[in-house]
Amino acid sequence: MSRRGTRTIKIDTLARVEGEGALYIKMAGDRVADVKLKIYEPPRMFEAFLRGRHCSEAPDITARICGICPIAYQMSALHAIERALGIQIDPAVRLLRRLFYCGEWIESHVLHVYMLHAPDFLGYQDVIEMAKDHRPLVEKALRLKKIGNRIIQLMGGREIHPISAAVGGFYKTPSRHQLRELRGDLEWALETSLETVRWTSSLPFPDFEQDYEFVALRHSGEYPLNEGRLVSNRGLDIDAAEYEDCFAELHVKHSNALHSVVRGRGSYLVGPLARFNLNFDKLPEVARKAAIDVGLRPPVKNVFRSIVVRAVELVFACREALGLIDQYEPPNTPRAEAPNRTGVGQAITEAPRGILYHRYALDERGLIVTAKIIPPTSQNQRRIEDDLREYAAYLYACPLEEATWKCEQAVRCYDPCISCATHFLKVVVEREPNSWS
Amino acid sequence: MLIIGCGNAQRGDDAAGIMAANRLRLLGVSAQICCGEPSELIEMWKDADDVIVIDAVITGASTGSVHVWDARRPLKLGKSLGFTHGLGPAEAIELSRTLGSLPGNIRVFGIEGWSFALGSEVSPSVAKGVELVIQEIFRELNKQS
Repeated sequence: MSRRGTRTIKIDTLARVEGEGALYIKMAGDRVADVKLKIYEPPRMFEAFLRGRHCSEAPDITARICGICPIAYQMSALHAIERALGIQIDPAVRLLRRLFYCGEWIESHVLHVYMLHAPDFLGYQDVIEMAKDHRPLVEKALRLKKIGNRIIQLMGGREIHPISAAVGGFYKTPSRHQLRELRGDLEWALETSLETVRWTSSLPFPDFEQDYEFVALRHSGEYPLNEGRLVSNRGLDIDAAEYEDCFAELHVKHSNALHSVVRGRGSYLVGPLARFNLNFDKLPEVARKAAIDVGLRPPVKNVFRSIVVRAVELVFACREALGLIDQYEPPNTPRAEAPNRTGVGQAITEAPRGILYHRYALDERGLIVTAKIIPPTSQNQRRIEDDLREYAAYLYACPLEEATWKCEQAVRCYDPCISCATHFLKVVVEREPNSWS
Repeated sequence: MLIIGCGNAQRGDDAAGIMAANRLRLLGVSAQICCGEPSELIEMWKDADDVIVIDAVITGASTGSVHVWDARRPLKLGKSLGFTHGLGPAEAIELSRTLGSLPGNIRVFGIEGWSFALGSEVSPSVAKGVELVIQEIFRELNKQS
């Protein structure tokens, strides 16, 4: 093996992530010379689609940005529009929205933990191969995911691109009885989520820690979903209206998706690790205890351990859903009045993958003049490249094929939903002469 | 017979399966629609004996070509593209097979797509392919009755 040799890691199609793109890493000896996360799906046009549409259409239009996290888009859109219109929502609606989000967190986190990320740690190419040896595990995952889907279907009318969320509330709200019917499944899901924490904590993790700026919502009374101030471990503490003052989007030549940075600082990390590290004290006791019992306490700086953090958030989502169901009383009216008016509103909610920012400017007829949508995966892109720059250097001594696979795994730690930004990853490894094989 | 049209109505020819399901419903035939997410598909067909899945495919054949695969045998399909997290109908079938929950009779009607761009229309050739699939399904239904 020659330290003078160079090699390039290129992955043409990153498997088990949402979206299309390419990963290119060039190494000169043990030094990473270049990292590019290339996103090459045509840029999303949704911000343009929304212009001229009535604000009441925004939840249904933005839900179509992503098939796995439509509720996140609906929630960020609704909160931003309600802020622009000066609407206060009924406390029962607030409760229902949290429950709605719990459904999405459950199905999204289960999909990632069991079907996308776990195969990496167990040495399988995909969940199909994994199912041959771990059938009960996969069957359990499918049942768990179905429970999340069931919450979404009950509240949203259907699982994909739900249709009931509206400005001011919901077009239709469930009865207490309908929600109570979810209890049995959720109790099973809670126990299974606790098993998931124990199981994921036993997986083999590389020793890879970075010094991140974690960014997440923080709420005074709860683990954040729909509401809170935006905070970081480096002193950020702002309202959503100040987001664009503190964060910038940069265009990079090799990607159709913009890179987000903290102004004056650089890359940052959003998602489960950020939420966990910044809101550990707000987790319900059962989730905190589950984390502590497996030795997981903040700050967690190893992005590979995000699979365990997602399992802890599964425990949170199941426990939270049970509590919300017990508290629920149907609102007097499912939807507050939403008279049109000129206004600008911003909102940030916590999609499963991290903070999702929306801003809308409305005219006097309630039509959208401008829209801005910044998904979590866009915000993590630069951080993913920064991580790969460090991680690829660790892999200098690995055979090329193994290094390529490990780089692909590293990207999957972020559970990138690149379709929200753009699409799939291809990872290509380039090797120059005189490099080791 | 359970008929499932899969796809994404926002992505051009990826709407083929959904278009087929909607056409069948207009003609009085029961058909379901699904985005292709595996857990949903596995749940949909878990109690069915005879299933048809309709979806857009890319094989390199001419646009609008119709392929029929007997999914009782392992499918030699490439990775699902454009589905949520790269898990689509092909993976749903193989996962179902591994878990022992594959229906006794399951066929995939694939319509060769060309344009999957966001916001694009369904290609005229693909629309013709959808009609061919509809005709074939009616032949199947007539045989059964």
